[in-house]
Amino acid sequence: MSVMVNIHKTHRQFTSGLEAVEVDGDTVGECLNTLTQRFPQLKTALFDKKNTLKNQIEIYLNMESAYPDELKKMVKPGDEIHITVMLAGG
Amino acid sequence: MIPILSSDELKRYDRQILIHEIGVAGQEKLKKASVLICGAGGLGSPAAIYLAAAGVGAITLIDYDQVALSNLNRQILHGEADIGRWKVDSAKEKLGKLNSHLILRTSTVRITDENAGEWAAGHDVIIDALDNLATRYALNKTAQEMGVPFIHGAVNGFEGRALTVIPGQSACLRCLHRSAAPETGKFPVIGVTPALIGVIQATEAIKYLTGIGELLADRLVVYDGLKAKWSEFRVKKNPECEHCGRPPERKTP
Repeated sequence: MSVMVNIHKTHRQFTSGLEAVEVDGDTVGECLNTLTQRFPQLKTALFDKKNTLKNQIEIYLNMESAYPDELKKMVKPGDEIHITVMLAGG
Repeated sequence: MIPILSSDELKRYDRQILIHEIGVAGQEKLKKASVLICGAGGLGSPAAIYLAAAGVGAITLIDYDQVALSNLNRQILHGEADIGRWKVDSAKEKLGKLNSHLILRTSTVRITDENAGEWAAGHDVIIDALDNLATRYALNKTAQEMGVPFIHGAVNGFEGRALTVIPGQSACLRCLHRSAAPETGKFPVIGVTPALIGVIQATEAIKYLTGIGELLADRLVVYDGLKAKWSEFRVKKNPECEHCGRPPERKTP
């Protein structure tokens, strides 16, 4: 069993409309790496040129904020990652 | 002793006084309360309307903008006849008609890092009904420094979110992010989304002011209107947060 990554609505254009994708990895970073290898367009939506997460990206691991050091957080089979984005409208 | 609530007010708020958790004591707390609402737009409209209707004694409403035609799909304090007026003037007229007991102060000031403290002073709660992150951060920081609860709300399209920040106790807005995201300008939105989120913010304010229920402290709720689904994410204080973390001089080496 692998890790389920829930894709934010604004990013589903890069995942062929998929709302959730199963990936393998030992850390959040490895999981996102697997994800962006499969869906390369997603990489520029999530990461900046220095390969760090963009400011507006939020990562939740098992419904809990993974910030800070999101990419280093360990994951185990059956865990769930949510990628969301900061909202600013009012 | 002069009663806090008049017989007219007791009648007016009868249905909510019937709520066991509120009662006359809770209603009196609402009357004595002062709420700062920053933004008289999509979030601020429903938040202000429902707080005024609920009998909050004093509201300060701040917005530096004027009503435009494209605001009317969501900013329900304003109508066609208000186009070109200051939003706070339009709001004052509507809220005054809704509840003559309300003491409403308004301003067209633009909230900045420098003046946020001056405006937050004297309020029991701050409602973040803004439309940009920079001002949200200024207000969030001030709220932490002054110890005033800060009720965050934000929307985009059919998606919205809310978080209540209790200074010194729960995660603040700055604890969630490494930095503000770049402003994207005009954001898509349909009125039902800020309607829901603004009313959640008003609900949080009522709960805090009356001391009842469980707040959205350390709980970020995210609403997806298209899926009619709520998600709740646990957030936590960041000890290194530049708005609410320990001051550097108190950090252990």
